[in-house]
Amino acid sequence: MDWDVVLESFPLIWKGAGKTVGLFAWSLAVGTVLALAVALMKISSAKPLIWFATFFSWLFRGIPLLILLFYAFFALPEVGWLLSPFWAAVLGLSLWTAAYQAEVIRSGIIAVDHGQTEASDALAMTRGHSMRRIIIPQSIRIMVPPFTSNATTLLKQTSLATLVTVPEMTLLTQRIFSNNFKFIEPIFVLAMIYLAMTTVLIIGQQIAERTFRLRT
Amino acid sequence: MELDWGVVARAWDLLIDGTWVTLQLFAWSLLLGTVLGLVLALMRLSKHRVLRWVSLGYVWLFRGIPVLVALFFAFFVFGRQVGLSALQAGVLGLGTSAAAYKAEIIRAGIMSVDPGQFEAAECLAMTRRHYMRRIIIPQGIRVMVPTYMSNTILVLKVSSVAVAIGIVELTGITRQLSNSTNRPIELFTAAALIYLFLTTVLVVLQEFLERRFALKT
Repeated sequence: MDWDVVLESFPLIWKGAGKTVGLFAWSLAVGTVLALAVALMKISSAKPLIWFATFFSWLFRGIPLLILLFYAFFALPEVGWLLSPFWAAVLGLSLWTAAYQAEVIRSGIIAVDHGQTEASDALAMTRGHSMRRIIIPQSIRIMVPPFTSNATTLLKQTSLATLVTVPEMTLLTQRIFSNNFKFIEPIFVLAMIYLAMTTVLIIGQQIAERTFRLRT
Repeated sequence: MELDWGVVARAWDLLIDGTWVTLQLFAWSLLLGTVLGLVLALMRLSKHRVLRWVSLGYVWLFRGIPVLVALFFAFFVFGRQVGLSALQAGVLGLGTSAAAYKAEIIRAGIMSVDPGQFEAAECLAMTRRHYMRRIIIPQGIRVMVPTYMSNTILVLKVSSVAVAIGIVELTGITRQLSNSTNRPIELFTAAALIYLFLTTVLVVLQEFLERRFALKT
């Protein structure tokens, strides 16, 4: 490995870090809102909502992320939805992560002791009120580890956006392949940046677990 | 715009060819991932510190980088030096990445076996290799089945990433057909349905295996 090429490659690849983080942050935000809606539908008592939520999870967990990205990028323009590559990728990544996070949120909510729901009913709280003030705050503690591990997967999967031409870090790395015919050095740089980013998320997870821990 | 589903019928043979490549990639990388994952799990549980560190480092590295980066390394760096075909490099990249996850699943399964079973096996003067094979791993499998199978479904879906190193599997052929016919909706829907069919088969297999390995009471 030629360290001069490593040093030359770093700034070229680092230019894509903003796009990578942007894809991650937008997809995580949109995906989490969607996931919460799907999770609440799944535990609701209305049959059509349960069916819709079950279908959503089955569909987006059964199809590869790359097919979703290609769908958003190649197929949506055919029906008049012309999204930029960045937003097509955010759309695909959000739907995909939402299907997984919905399961995390749902199992977190149903893991809260049933006595808490009964107690809020006894206090004549409405369902929305007890969800917001009693159940969800307690379920967050249970959700933190699986939620952040899905988020780490999401961060890594933003690399697939290179295939729908978003100029994030992986695409800029491939550009070095074709311009300079150098491979090992840019791959090394790219791997190190992803490792640093995922390690930051894992540290974040440990901080979050400590923050939400029960104080006894 | 008018949808023309006839394009799927005309492209059907090519889609099936692509599906076949996807299944080959999937089967070989699952095999590599499982064997390497088992070795890594046993290393992690070994008494030797060096083996534990190597295993820990491997898992940290491959879980910290995207599978696409592992594929690039297998194809552009390792594959070029050794002279691997794209398919072989794809199996190597997908398999080494899957191994990191399989190792954690197998380790968790082994650790979930009651310590009394280890103690009893030692009392019977069984060697470590012997009781691992005959006592511990068979019991650990029960615990591993659900997580192992959901990870396996992921391995199948992730194989689509191989399109990035030029392997013409189901996703790759669909993209080519979509570009040449300009019928992305019909073709990507067909590909999605094929993937949904394959993942559903694996889900059914998972339920069968869970029943097969359930404790009989």
